[in-house]
Amino acid sequence: MFLDNYGFLMVAIIQQALLGMSLWYPLMAGQLSLASIGFYSMGGYIAAIMGTSPLFAAWRETLGPALYPVEWLIAMLASVLLGLLVGIPALRLRGIYLALATIAFVQVLNVVVLVLDVTGGAVGLFGIPQPFEKRIAYLWFFGPLLIVMLLFSWRLTRTVAGRSFMAIREDELAAQAMGISTTYEKVRAFVIGCGLAGVVGAMSAPFLNTWNARQSSFDASVACLAYVLIGGARSIWGPLLGAILLVALPEVLRPLKDARLIMNGIVLVVACIYLPQGIAGLLASLRRKASGVA
Amino acid sequence: MRIFVVLAASLFFAQTAFAEPVGSPIPVGIAVGQTTNVALFGEEQVNGAKVAEKMINEKGGVNGTPIKLVFQDTGGDEAGAINAFQNLISRDKVVAIIGPTLSQQAFAANPIANQAKVPVVGPSNTAKGVAQIGEYVSRISAPMTLVAPNALKRALAINPNVKNVAVVYAQDDAFNVSETGIFQEAIKDQGLNIAMVQKTSVKDTDFTTQVTAILGANVDMVVMSCLAADGGNMVKQLRQFGYEGLIVGGNGFNSPNMYPVCGKECTGVIVAQAYSPKADNAENNAFVPVFKEMFKKDPAQFSAQAYTSVKVVVDALSEVEKNSGKKVAEMDTAELRTALNAAIISSTYETPLGEIVLDADGEITQKTFYVSQIKIADDGKTGAMELLPE
Repeated sequence: MFLDNYGFLMVAIIQQALLGMSLWYPLMAGQLSLASIGFYSMGGYIAAIMGTSPLFAAWRETLGPALYPVEWLIAMLASVLLGLLVGIPALRLRGIYLALATIAFVQVLNVVVLVLDVTGGAVGLFGIPQPFEKRIAYLWFFGPLLIVMLLFSWRLTRTVAGRSFMAIREDELAAQAMGISTTYEKVRAFVIGCGLAGVVGAMSAPFLNTWNARQSSFDASVACLAYVLIGGARSIWGPLLGAILLVALPEVLRPLKDARLIMNGIVLVVACIYLPQGIAGLLASLRRKASGVA
Repeated sequence: MRIFVVLAASLFFAQTAFAEPVGSPIPVGIAVGQTTNVALFGEEQVNGAKVAEKMINEKGGVNGTPIKLVFQDTGGDEAGAINAFQNLISRDKVVAIIGPTLSQQAFAANPIANQAKVPVVGPSNTAKGVAQIGEYVSRISAPMTLVAPNALKRALAINPNVKNVAVVYAQDDAFNVSETGIFQEAIKDQGLNIAMVQKTSVKDTDFTTQVTAILGANVDMVVMSCLAADGGNMVKQLRQFGYEGLIVGGNGFNSPNMYPVCGKECTGVIVAQAYSPKADNAENNAFVPVFKEMFKKDPAQFSAQAYTSVKVVVDALSEVEKNSGKKVAEMDTAELRTALNAAIISSTYETPLGEIVLDADGEITQKTFYVSQIKIADDGKTGAMELLPE
């Protein structure tokens, strides 16, 4: 009963957290990129086309359920390739200019999708084959991916690559002076995010039953950024905590009807003002206080 | 031994908890977009549904049992629609769901209701393939296959010398893309020449490029599939740049929101409609005054379609009572949902949209469509749709 009601929501939280995480990697290297949602959209289209197009009928016959991992792999490879193509020129830009360039990239992708026939134009694609009956079962897709990515993030913060990312975030000039190839590292952080976003998209197309150009709206980009910032951009738990709060809140507040979006807005504003380090930062400072270090 | 008794008892209770009677009032779910940018349509749907609830309950509901609408906001995205549907199905135990607002949301949420064997009636989903999602899915919103040729014929009656036509459509809106296809077919069938096709976006406000191209091509008629805001702006700019020929708009123009956008320039625009508040049939004559009294304005098409959806569900509920000889409120929810779905499809209904028929697929056949001409009042902000004579 509870799972029937909230199964979809629980999986949606993890899905959105993973999407937030794809934005977290470039942020780890100090790069504010809003391109993730574009790669998410592309990954979703790859899965949706492979699931519905007559061109792939033979693949579906022979692969059966093994088609899903193949979709993830193709989505990841495509995202990494496109990520390199976009990232190498775009990451010469900094701060707000990079953010703008990445938004532009998403818009271009959107126009392409609306014009093409294979993507279903404005209506999008539907009738995507389902691996599971119940929405909660999609935990088998997103759950392991979340665990793997959390472990990966945790390892990353302890390796040379991860430390170079953080060095660039703290002071790009100083990092360069220390011999870090900043462009190389920035592209690396960006591409990790792109690959992840592509895979999440490919998993999401069957999860949502349908895929269309509205999946990569500007609002969705901003929502992803909000997960990371509200959750805490400096902790590996940040995107997850942010997604739990921001995805669940409007649903939990459903009984409030119209007031729920106002409440949601208030929570956002309060979090921005009083939690500069996000929820993860708050938890860390509480722990420090509790252990008496202050 | 005792453990067996406990187990048997718990199984028994689990079983009874599973079979739940519908109860009175009968809950009917309304899942439309009450927030985000679809709220413009969603609010009109909520209004129409509320009028239906009031009128139906005043007449005694389903043979004496009142109905209760349960509203769940879908927002404008797919995830919101799925959440709303899930709440209505497993928590509110509704007998049927009316919604969602957008076709794309229908593609996401309807399979979930279909799996749970809950009938869905789409009040405003016009994309191809919605009714085919599953056996529990039907819709009362017609694709504009009949009305587009009609609108063109009326336009030709006004100016028989039309030869060259420019087609404009918003390429990022599902409804407009499918509508322009129908219009273009109809234009060719009338023996007219499509001089050019211009694409716009529903977010556009500046149409200089398209307008200049149309003026340069020297066309006699412009056929537009856009929504109220962008379409209104485009009409305004066309007229301001000096275009004097006929303008035919699709169903997206069928909204009072057009008037303040394009003002006086809208006068004379021909609009293809799936519903008109001026339609003369018994159901509409009963519906319009009550709507006007409650909301102080004419019902829009989305309101009429939402009203119609509720009416379809209630008529089908009465049908179930008649056929089974049992009161709906005493039936088991799951059992009723199946019986209700069977009653909804393959039936004929008298509605404010005129007579409609739902075929075995859940697809609508609508008998009457309307073609109107916009007339703006002297204040330049308000207006009306004047029905064109047959």
